[in-house]
Amino acid sequence: MSTPQGNKYMNVLILGANGQLGPHVIRALENDGHTLRLTDINDPPDTPHEYFKLDAGDLDGVIAAAEGMDTIINLSVLRPHRQIAFDVNARGTYNAMAAAVHHGIKRVINTGPHFTIAGPTYENNDHLIGPDVPTQSGTLLYAITKSLGQEVCRIFTENHDIHVLTLLFYNFWFPDDHSADGHDVTPFSVTWQDSAEAFRPALSIDLEELPSKCETFFIFADMPHQKFTNEKAKRILGWQPTNTLAHRWTKM
Amino acid sequence: MNILITSASKRLARHLAAELNAEHDVRLTDREDAPGAQSFTLCDLNHDEATNELVRGIDVVVHFGELDSSLSVSGQLDDAMRCTYNLLWAASEEKIPRLIYLNSLSVMGRHDESYAVTERWKPAPTTETSVLGYHLGEFVCREFARENKIDVISLRLGELVWDHGEASSSALYPEDAVQAVQKALIAEVSDGYAGSSSNWNVFHIQSAVPNARFLTAAAEQGLGYQPSPR
Repeated sequence: MSTPQGNKYMNVLILGANGQLGPHVIRALENDGHTLRLTDINDPPDTPHEYFKLDAGDLDGVIAAAEGMDTIINLSVLRPHRQIAFDVNARGTYNAMAAAVHHGIKRVINTGPHFTIAGPTYENNDHLIGPDVPTQSGTLLYAITKSLGQEVCRIFTENHDIHVLTLLFYNFWFPDDHSADGHDVTPFSVTWQDSAEAFRPALSIDLEELPSKCETFFIFADMPHQKFTNEKAKRILGWQPTNTLAHRWTKM
Repeated sequence: MNILITSASKRLARHLAAELNAEHDVRLTDREDAPGAQSFTLCDLNHDEATNELVRGIDVVVHFGELDSSLSVSGQLDDAMRCTYNLLWAASEEKIPRLIYLNSLSVMGRHDESYAVTERWKPAPTTETSVLGYHLGEFVCREFARENKIDVISLRLGELVWDHGEASSSALYPEDAVQAVQKALIAEVSDGYAGSSSNWNVFHIQSAVPNARFLTAAAEQGLGYQPSPR
């Protein structure tokens, strides 16, 4: 049995499935027929999928939830609270990697904001910033905790038979949101729908086709700013954003 | 100088305090009580006023990257990342000029022993909690230094040899460890590449044992470190 695109059906664990991005990702993946196991610290939404109420910072819980899975997608995130940000963003990612190693899971899809890599020391100064620059998160709580998680991922790939694809985002928009048209937009923006579509190739790409065991992709719309570049995501994943958000960066 | 040393229960922390005490005002701290420690303050290194109070008036913080193996994996990683972040955040707020991070040469351990590994080489830690923790703590320190919030010197220490124990190829005798910290307290190391300034410096520190695994030329030049002949 295979997906409409001819790829193998997978058992997919999604950590932090009940956040803002989760429902869009679930919709994209369930259309492909994958079996989804959802977890989140919050109460379950109305869902047909298996659901575990789970704190991503609970190592034993994450290991238990990953049993029988082919892939782990880590969407868990917590921004403002010092203790919980470290628990979820940094240790939660460690827990996902430890669970993957424990169960022999070969693919982890991690997520975060772009400034886990391209922090202020890049963004304040440069253009055409790509996802393969050396990490400079800076000390902002959200950035450094997620960046520590990515560093953990990288070290796990150097020590174990496991691949990590990290998808980095920043601003999300609904296509019909015209609240700030013509005022320009953060040059790292994307629609929720396009962002979710990036998970499909991340799940299906042959791991042997990746340049290395740890690859990072910038996921944002085709925009003319050239502050960042999404070329790698299009070239390697074959991801193609459909909405340029032009109504935001063209004058009214 | 007013010096604060973390992880007061560790043998090297006590040894450092004893050695530095002759010339400096040394205080010790730990997240657990440390019976017998001099000038000791119990502190959880949380994000609160207690951590700011701990570092207030200090000239140099000496922070241990070594983790407490009696804690759970989660507890150790919490120490390595969150507590280090809280300490640096408080130190930055209190305008403490320098932090010395006591790292380990184990973070370079996956490089082949035949290689001439120096500070220019990329760290190569394993996922063993104790090694990973050292590396993640250094990662946090580097970002504070990058933003010029504090001057950080990371000393990657060799394997400590106590009480005439067996010396590995990366052995570090306590007197050499003390010497490296003493030098790092006062070193002028703000010159970066090509005339730029740098708040971030890393030095490899081990003793001059036969077949020494790691080169210490950078520490000898940058800190004036001179390992005793063995």
